[in-house]
Amino acid sequence: MAAPTVNVSMNPTTYSPGEQMLLTVNYGDPDNQRLTLTITVADAQGNRSAPVSVTAVIDPLTLTVTDDSGRTWSRVSDSGSVAVYRAVA
Amino acid sequence: MPRVTVTVRDATSKTATASVAYTVLPPVLGGYYLSGGADPTADMAGGNFRSLTQYRSFADAHIFPGYQRQWLVTLGRSGVQINMVLELKHYGASDTGPQTFTVDGVKYTVPAPAMTIQQRPGAVWPKAYGYGQVLAGQCDGLFARALSQYRTMGFGVNIQLASELDTDHEFGTTEAGKAYTWAESDARAVQAMTYIVNWFRAKGLPQGTTFSVGLGGFDRACFRRTHPEALMSRLDYLQWNVYATSAGHTALERFRRTKDWAVADLGPVALSRPVLIAEWGVRVVEIPDQAAWIATVPAAIARLNAERGPFIARTNYFNSGWGTLSPKAAGLAALRAAYARPPYG
Repeated sequence: MAAPTVNVSMNPTTYSPGEQMLLTVNYGDPDNQRLTLTITVADAQGNRSAPVSVTAVIDPLTLTVTDDSGRTWSRVSDSGSVAVYRAVA
Repeated sequence: MPRVTVTVRDATSKTATASVAYTVLPPVLGGYYLSGGADPTADMAGGNFRSLTQYRSFADAHIFPGYQRQWLVTLGRSGVQINMVLELKHYGASDTGPQTFTVDGVKYTVPAPAMTIQQRPGAVWPKAYGYGQVLAGQCDGLFARALSQYRTMGFGVNIQLASELDTDHEFGTTEAGKAYTWAESDARAVQAMTYIVNWFRAKGLPQGTTFSVGLGGFDRACFRRTHPEALMSRLDYLQWNVYATSAGHTALERFRRTKDWAVADLGPVALSRPVLIAEWGVRVVEIPDQAAWIATVPAAIARLNAERGPFIARTNYFNSGWGTLSPKAAGLAALRAAYARPPYG
């Protein structure tokens, strides 16, 4: 299994108290894959059910955000490779 | 410096970690001045006013808190940061003679002020104690009197020496019959300001006492001349005043003008000092909607403080002269709204 990768950025990095701060996280893992399984059931007579789909994530990733000043960062968006978090300065 | 850390963990508990540090600046203190040195308590009540400018002449027998200004003690003890502008300028035209008085049992005689400043053609030139008089020790009694009164206040203040040296020197000065150019006056003032700061710093001062030297900040060369590193090493703040006097003036450009000169011209000691804007104002003749202009100030200050250079720490609105709020209610409401937003915390 490969290790995940991550890098983070803030722009700007200096804020006035009360301002909104945004943190951008770029992350990934070579093993991380999102699969869709589509299943159809057929009987001996050849009758087929309607297909159903389920999603499976191979090697799922979890993100943890901590701040040594105690500020709470909340997730604004997450595409699966880019996540944006927000906190108040 | 706070730091935020992100950890990504996969299904087998392999992790990757990255972090970034950021800076949250201290809140800027929103402040005020009310015309005539009048009691501003009512105007400040309920708003996020945390800073105040006051003006006193060293010639006055009542400097701290000032004649019938007990409210200044109340405001200071409640945590409002006081910027006391102490001037060598003599405010009274009628009584400018020598003074004899006793401070803590010591009798002092101070000669009549021997300098004229603000020598605008056609105007009456105000008198001031001369830089030569200061350096000769003739004004020590004035400083002793101010210090003795200051010690009774119960809190520290910023002592801003002079209101605007550039305004005082713009048309030259004269002391004891000798004329000095603007640049010569600046050099003499630096010596005198150094003397005064050293005089005070050699004494026991209330905790939290800080010092600055006053400039309007409208002349780049004067600002540079009056901020040598040797003097700045004895001062705690940079200071300049900010006025909008043209319809095209924006808050960003007006607050940044002197800052940009400082960043370009001053040394590292000067630039390590935060900035105290003792006065800022919007002149209603050119900018009738003062409230709209005031509303743009928080973003301008936040942007300037996010840039390199000295941190703007306090901004005191000058509700007098060029800054007179008219109508007052709308102007005060705008100030309250502005001081309620970042970077005023």
